[in-house]
Amino acid sequence: MRPEMILHITRKEILSTLRDRRAIISNLLIPFLILPLVMLGLPVFLGGLFERESQTISEIAVVSLVNLPADLRQQLEAQNLAFSEVTDPFSVVESGDYQAAIAIEAGFAEALESGGKATLTLYSKRGNLRSELIASKVENAVRDYQQTIVAERLKAAGLDVAVLTPIELSAVDASSAAERASGSFGWLIPFFIVIWTLAGGQMTAIDATAGEKERGTLEVLLVSPVRRIEAVMGKFLATMLFGLTAALMAILGYVLGGTVMRRFFGAQLGDEGSEIVTLLGGSLSIDLISILLLIISSLLLAALIAALLIGITMFARSFREAQTYVAPLSFILIIPIVGLQFADFFSFSSLIYLIPILNTMLLMDEIVKGSIPLVPLLLTWGSSLGFAAIFLDFAYRSFKREDVLFRT
Amino acid sequence: MIEVSNLSKAFGKVKAADKLNFSVQAGEIFGLLGPNGAGKTTTLRILATLLKADAGSATVNGFDINKESEQVRTSIGVVNGGMGLYDRLSGSEVLYYFGKLYGMKRQAIEKRILELDELLKLGDTLTRRCGSFSSGMKQKIVIARALLHDPSIIFFDEATSGLDVMARRAVLDFVKNYPSEDRAVIYSTHVMGEVEELCDRAAIIYQGKIIAQDSTRALLGKAQASNLEQAFFTIVESSGLVPAVEASA
Ligand SMILES: Nc1ncnc2c1ncn2[C@@H]1O[C@H](COP(=O)(O)OP(=O)(O)O)[C@@H](O)[C@H]1O
Ligand SMILES: [Mg+2]
Repeated sequence: MRPEMILHITRKEILSTLRDRRAIISNLLIPFLILPLVMLGLPVFLGGLFERESQTISEIAVVSLVNLPADLRQQLEAQNLAFSEVTDPFSVVESGDYQAAIAIEAGFAEALESGGKATLTLYSKRGNLRSELIASKVENAVRDYQQTIVAERLKAAGLDVAVLTPIELSAVDASSAAERASGSFGWLIPFFIVIWTLAGGQMTAIDATAGEKERGTLEVLLVSPVRRIEAVMGKFLATMLFGLTAALMAILGYVLGGTVMRRFFGAQLGDEGSEIVTLLGGSLSIDLISILLLIISSLLLAALIAALLIGITMFARSFREAQTYVAPLSFILIIPIVGLQFADFFSFSSLIYLIPILNTMLLMDEIVKGSIPLVPLLLTWGSSLGFAAIFLDFAYRSFKREDVLFRT
Repeated sequence: MIEVSNLSKAFGKVKAADKLNFSVQAGEIFGLLGPNGAGKTTTLRILATLLKADAGSATVNGFDINKESEQVRTSIGVVNGGMGLYDRLSGSEVLYYFGKLYGMKRQAIEKRILELDELLKLGDTLTRRCGSFSSGMKQKIVIARALLHDPSIIFFDEATSGLDVMARRAVLDFVKNYPSEDRAVIYSTHVMGEVEELCDRAAIIYQGKIIAQDSTRALLGKAQASNLEQAFFTIVESSGLVPAVEASA
């Protein structure tokens, strides 16, 4: 392998990708914009919807308005509810004529007055956001009403409301400062790298391999004195570079979205967005060595994904075939990430650090939480490198296979 | 400059090259003539070290195709009809890219591009992106790229397919003038007229076998034909192999 040949090929693939407007959009723009849009757009949009719904007056169906005590009625109206009398509360909600309905049994008010129990039935559609929102207005009103009744009854018995809460449970977060500040950072970064290396690298990978076959340029390349391993490595490096760029753009977008969120929505937040911001603001005490280890782990993970992409696309004979293989990848690679959500419930043997992707997430999580576990570190890096090498070797073999290179 | 002995290659049951023997001398244009599927491209790909032969051996410019494939590739330039360029690079960017792959220095490439511009009249193909080329413009850059490292031997494989009359004429004239004492051309085509016009010697290849090999004039004489097309059919019939037209009829 001659490094200058590899870099020469990498440079050409970079130039070629940079001149493709679609690639720029999907490699740089989309990863940068998508998270801020989702982070900002969704709460603003949904928040607006909820707010409108809770402020407008919604009409609910009622069976036997006459049974409704005046106090409760006031509470319900305070929640912006209005009533219309029906006979079959179930079917009017089921059919969608009303979002919610209540049925008040006869003697409701009398039962409560005499210190007894009464039943109010609430009809709504589970899973229908609008219906549930309106039902929650009813629940709020009933809860408030109930509290006043309880308070009255206790008073009548000569008791204070405080008797209901004899124990006060006080919760303290015992995670270390590093752990608290790290939040989900440890697995979020590898997650971004996996998803966006895949998304950002695939255009370059397909273009440089199956695309070259399809356009009849591969034969030209192979007839030059360049060695096939150099061509594979050159294309691999370009893929990795664009993948990492996309991942970096996504992380930047995430930080930006988090900053904006924090500034405008401040206290209500406390989610990862603000955690990353605090992290970058320096509240996380990781030293230079840890940062270096994180960077190396990230690079190796990106290398693994890029090698996988090159292996697959080099094997494919056409653009379409390559896309067909690549499309389900992001779904498959997400599986270990989902598994990680339950990591706290298990104790693993060190062998788990041989599982690609998952290992990097676990490792990075530990590093940001302040420890440098040597064995997991070596296993993880070895695994990433090993798998990358296997995929590159596969790409190289495909690149030498006559039936893959030339088909008639 | 090229010695081929008993070269064979099969794809499954299809014998694409069947015990081929021929040689190409310096200074000559050697024709490989045969209908589609005869095995011309396969033969050239083996000589260009893109495919491995099942059996037999060959040397190109004195280098063994199996053991010295890198030197072989440095010695040859390949032009074929189906070759592509990089749509998003300009003609000169393509030439720089390949020049470097051939180990040339930047100045050497610049100098060579000037020479090739003179020779092939590259014009604005150098500055425009290849994606916008006509087939004639494309073929100019394909040829320029094959000549970039000043190879001793050039392979032309159906190099005029898809070209208009003018572009085709330009290619033929170029090939005709290319050989010198230390250079040779293999010209592979199914077009009899091109072989007749260009080639000093030719091999007629059919179903992977060379069924006749001689100077172009001798081939005509042997078949007592006035043009190569007639000669071709006479030779195929006398070879005992069934001509494709009859086989499909
Ligand atoms: N990569 C390949 N896989 C399978 N069969 C092939 C391959 N390349 C060529 N062939 C077969 O070998 C024979 C010779 O093909 P080719 O060398 O392309 O002929 P020509 O160039 O003379 O038209 C044909 O029958 C073709 O179908
Ligand atoms: Mg052919």
